Amino acid sequence: MVSHIGPVTVMDSAPSKQYSDDVSLVMVLLDTNPFFWGGENTTTKVSFSNFLIHVISFLNSVLLLNQLNQVVVIATGYNSCDYIFDSSTSESLNVSSGNGKMPALCSKMLQKLEEFVIRDEQLSKENSPSGIVSSLLSGSLSLALCYIQKVLRSGRLHPNPRLRDAFFSVVVACLGIGCISFNFIEIELSHLTDINLQILCLQGSPDGPEQYVAVMNAIFSAQRSMVPIDSCIVGVQHSAFLQQASYITGGVYLKPPQLDGLFQYLSTVFATDLHSRSFLQLPKPVGVDFRASCFCHKSTIDMGYICSVCLSIFCKQHKKCSTCGSVFGQANPEVKLPTDRKRKAIDLNAAYN
Amino acid sequence: MPQVKIIAKNFMDMVAALPALKLDKLYDNTFICEAVLRSLPPLAKKYVLQLLYIDEPVTAKSMEDWVLTDGTSKHRVAIDRLIQLRVFLEITDRKKETSYRLNPKFQGNLQHYIVHGGVLPRESMSSSITVRLPTAEELDSYALEQWESFLLQLISSSQPEKMTSFTSSMMKIFQQGLLSLRDKEAPKLTESGFQFLLMDTNAQLWYIIREYIINSEVRGVDSADLISFLLELSFHVTGQAYNASTLNDVQRSAINDLAELGLIKLQQGRKDNWFIPTKLATNLSVSLSDSSSRKQGFVVVETNFRLYAYSTSKLHCEILRLFARVEYQLPNLIVGAITKESLYTAFENGITSEQAIVPYSETVNLQIISFLQQNAHPRVSDRAAPSVPENVTDQIRLWESDLNRVEVTPANFYDEFPSKDVFEGACDYARDNGGLLWEDSKRMRLVVKAEIHTLMRDYLHRQK
Repeated sequence: MVSHIGPVTVMDSAPSKQYSDDVSLVMVLLDTNPFFWGGENTTTKVSFSNFLIHVISFLNSVLLLNQLNQVVVIATGYNSCDYIFDSSTSESLNVSSGNGKMPALCSKMLQKLEEFVIRDEQLSKENSPSGIVSSLLSGSLSLALCYIQKVLRSGRLHPNPRLRDAFFSVVVACLGIGCISFNFIEIELSHLTDINLQILCLQGSPDGPEQYVAVMNAIFSAQRSMVPIDSCIVGVQHSAFLQQASYITGGVYLKPPQLDGLFQYLSTVFATDLHSRSFLQLPKPVGVDFRASCFCHKSTIDMGYICSVCLSIFCKQHKKCSTCGSVFGQANPEVKLPTDRKRKAIDLNAAYN
Repeated sequence: MPQVKIIAKNFMDMVAALPALKLDKLYDNTFICEAVLRSLPPLAKKYVLQLLYIDEPVTAKSMEDWVLTDGTSKHRVAIDRLIQLRVFLEITDRKKETSYRLNPKFQGNLQHYIVHGGVLPRESMSSSITVRLPTAEELDSYALEQWESFLLQLISSSQPEKMTSFTSSMMKIFQQGLLSLRDKEAPKLTESGFQFLLMDTNAQLWYIIREYIINSEVRGVDSADLISFLLELSFHVTGQAYNASTLNDVQRSAINDLAELGLIKLQQGRKDNWFIPTKLATNLSVSLSDSSSRKQGFVVVETNFRLYAYSTSKLHCEILRLFARVEYQLPNLIVGAITKESLYTAFENGITSEQAIVPYSETVNLQIISFLQQNAHPRVSDRAAPSVPENVTDQIRLWESDLNRVEVTPANFYDEFPSKDVFEGACDYARDNGGLLWEDSKRMRLVVKAEIHTLMRDYLHRQK
């Protein structure tokens, strides 16, 4: 709301100032894992339908805050994930005006959600679950990031071509799995803070260590595009993945102690636009579980071996790196001490940055 | 001080200025609540959301704990705005502690929104009745055409050779303040009018609507009714037809006026009349900073002060003519140059005779520069370099500051003081009142600002 004749506006010739500060695109990743919601996990107290009521209210409130706000909901299932709601496309039926007929949209979203859950269930019949029943977090994170890239590259939110190119190279870099080489491009943060892209993970089921590499890649990709990943844990255990995700991308990690008032948590913490976050008291991370999963057996480890070339992590000593193929020298037990987990995490971050 | 009154930011300043009783009445309407919420600063929006389901008043102290220390000023701004709009009601208890609670009507309406989602103000008509609705492109071009012809009329009536008669009474209202209409003299653009033409469409639209609302009382229409209708209008869906019989008399007359501006397209069927809001109408409640109505730029300015405008619009040509010398015009291209002379006429136009004596700071050059920047051709604006070359913007600034080397202050001259003491006393008195401009102690002469002349006179009388 700067007056158009203020010297500030005029001196600032950058076209990025076109957007008011709090226009947000919120990607909501909804955990629909049937093993979590319907399983023995009765300690959560909150039922899926109750959970949905809170979430839909939250979506409504995000749409209420600004007529240009957009919400995309992605369902994270057990075997698959899919977009189930996009406020921008559903509006195209009855164009613009902020938001269309929400009750109708709501039912449409629920209908799509139901279809998704059924499809997801059919997939799981073929390969019955064993061990930890985690949701496909890596998949939905990637879907969210793809959507964000699409938005950025369509130029709808980003008028600056330099940034568009920058993002392009980032997404290319991120598609490689395991061995990541980043193209370092200085991105001016100020250009990005105007858009407020954010990802919110509503996660209940435990982490799947086998997704470690994919999830980490998604996290680093989000970090590169400067998209914070907020996480709200509705399950029993903390999620190490999401702790790291929020920590690395500068998002908020929260595990509400009482789930009856979930909407209040969501609206107080996660409906805050990024611009306002810099001067508000928000939940601070208590501690971050930096443990990694090894690439060979996909199990979470405290200590392990790291390939000095591509930074792959292994729980046992190998002769050759299975990711990049470098041949390791003969192990000298005194020299090649496994790093402790704190150090390793820092090294990992430093290396990716 | 330069006059910046023309920049009223949005509807909400106007809403905030309404008396409390009217404001509370407005909040009966869900759409007003929605529009008001969206107009708030981000932090204020967050507070509303946070308090939405809290029925108890929250103390001001505990709210201050929500922000970090460097956000305190933003916090104050947010709270002030909320109180101003009566979204927050201030409650002071016996211990003199202030607490706030949401306006119950506002709260109720928003709670309803959160649970049930947004709805549309009125049902659109089925396509079986409205046989042929204009497509989105047709509607856009219609709106643009109406709007441009309005602006064109504004400009051309300021040029004597192209004198046109005002077609409607509304036109007159809109032109108030933008044109100085003196007897026997051709209408001339005022400074406000000049600034108006260089503003972007949203700002122009808002200015016009503001005038329209202010003038509503004269026409015997309650301004609160009009505001609520206009806000409601902005929640309609662009391009849909709405039955005009659902409107009351005030609204129907408003619709007719707005149709002239291109905010609305009226159509007549065999039995019913209906209106179709255009993009201009649905953007009304959107704040100025939004670019949803941003048009494709068309101006390229070169470092040699030449100006190429890829436009077929007559309006664009006229606007450019305000401050540049248009050299030739091709079917889709206007070529001109920014020269010292052309800018001087612009600066002269921008200053009304009353304001000529006031030190006039750089609004006009900033307006011109920002106009060029906002309408820069995409080829230019996509480049990392500034869209208008720096040497051009600097020169425009310099040329204008050239005009303002001399500052004129109305003053009074005093001499023939009876004694040195009286003279020095008078000097000190004038200095204390901040009005001393010049003194010559040798010949006991003194120049004092005109505004303290009466004070001076009283003082000197007392000295006798």
